[in-house]
Amino acid sequence: MAETTFMGVPREKISWFPTIDYDKCTFSMESDTFCPHHVFERREGDRKLVVANPNNCVVFCRACAKTCGPDAISFPGKPETIALIKRFASKRP
Amino acid sequence: MKRAILSCNGLDKPEGSVAREAAIRGADATGSEIVCPVLLNRAPARYKKVLSDSLLIVVDGCSTRCASKLAARLEAKVERKVLVTDAVKASGQPLESTLGLGPKGLALAQSIVDELVRKLNAPAVAAEPAAEFETPAEYLAVTHDKFEFRIPVVDYMFNENDVWVRVLDGVARVGISDYMQQKLTDINYFDAPRIDAAVEQFGELGSLESAKAVFEIVSPIGGTVTAVNQAVIDNPGLINEDPYGAGWLVEVKLAAWPQDQELLLEPAAYAETVKRKAAEE
Repeated sequence: MAETTFMGVPREKISWFPTIDYDKCTFSMESDTFCPHHVFERREGDRKLVVANPNNCVVFCRACAKTCGPDAISFPGKPETIALIKRFASKRP
Repeated sequence: MKRAILSCNGLDKPEGSVAREAAIRGADATGSEIVCPVLLNRAPARYKKVLSDSLLIVVDGCSTRCASKLAARLEAKVERKVLVTDAVKASGQPLESTLGLGPKGLALAQSIVDELVRKLNAPAVAAEPAAEFETPAEYLAVTHDKFEFRIPVVDYMFNENDVWVRVLDGVARVGISDYMQQKLTDINYFDAPRIDAAVEQFGELGSLESAKAVFEIVSPIGGTVTAVNQAVIDNPGLINEDPYGAGWLVEVKLAAWPQDQELLLEPAAYAETVKRKAAEE
């Protein structure tokens, strides 16, 4: 089950999830094997790995990218995400 | 203690060629013995004495981290690690795409060695812990299957990235939770942040490595790093043994503690987070 909030911010408002560069991905499936949150799914066809459940991704976790030999996984910049979370926090009653 | 150097043998990538070159030059520059990764994997007995008598410098070409995983499997004592792909990014200069090293690859290998020597020769920074933190007396326990995850009842706050903070006299001590140390299993390397480094809340406070994963330490607070736990650098297993006490990681002089607290969890709320995470896995 996906987390519904992160630090009080609705999870779907935070665009923190991996993006696969298919020009680099060798479909080793290391990232899928590693990630316990089922962010990735394996498929038939050319793109054998997809980001199927982006909101399952733990905000600020980049561990799958750190296991990726061909450096095919990227994440958004942290500062933008931090700013968004702080913006939400400041609006809380 | 002697030193030995283990690099990946990544013959199918330019970064692997750089790792190999850096290992050869680094062995010369640091007086280290070279450890062949293929032979180490095939016949570890060949290097048993070398590994027991030496601190290991590990050079990985890419994030698959074959050399690091090999070192972890054989429980080698790692002094320092280098990842060539990080060095490529830091240099801002893409490597030649050929497997044989060109001028850029050779220059990068030399700069990796120069940086390695500089760090190894850097005098130890005086970074005494600022305050006496007592070991927690009472814990909440979250159980899942055969596992039990402990969370101190008072004094500790957490972010959702499984990092705790404890504050005493304006100084924050930071470490990882019992849940995360169990998830990582045996931690064998702490890449500590620089003393005096400025860190923002949710910024990076170094990383931890086990055979299983690389864990980025997401800072629960903002401020300036004032101390790192040398005992943990020397023996990362302390984090597994005592994550809330002797296994602390860094101390930070706080910049905005009242605001930081708004984005942290009390122990009972963190216990709920752990319960949910454990159930999802």
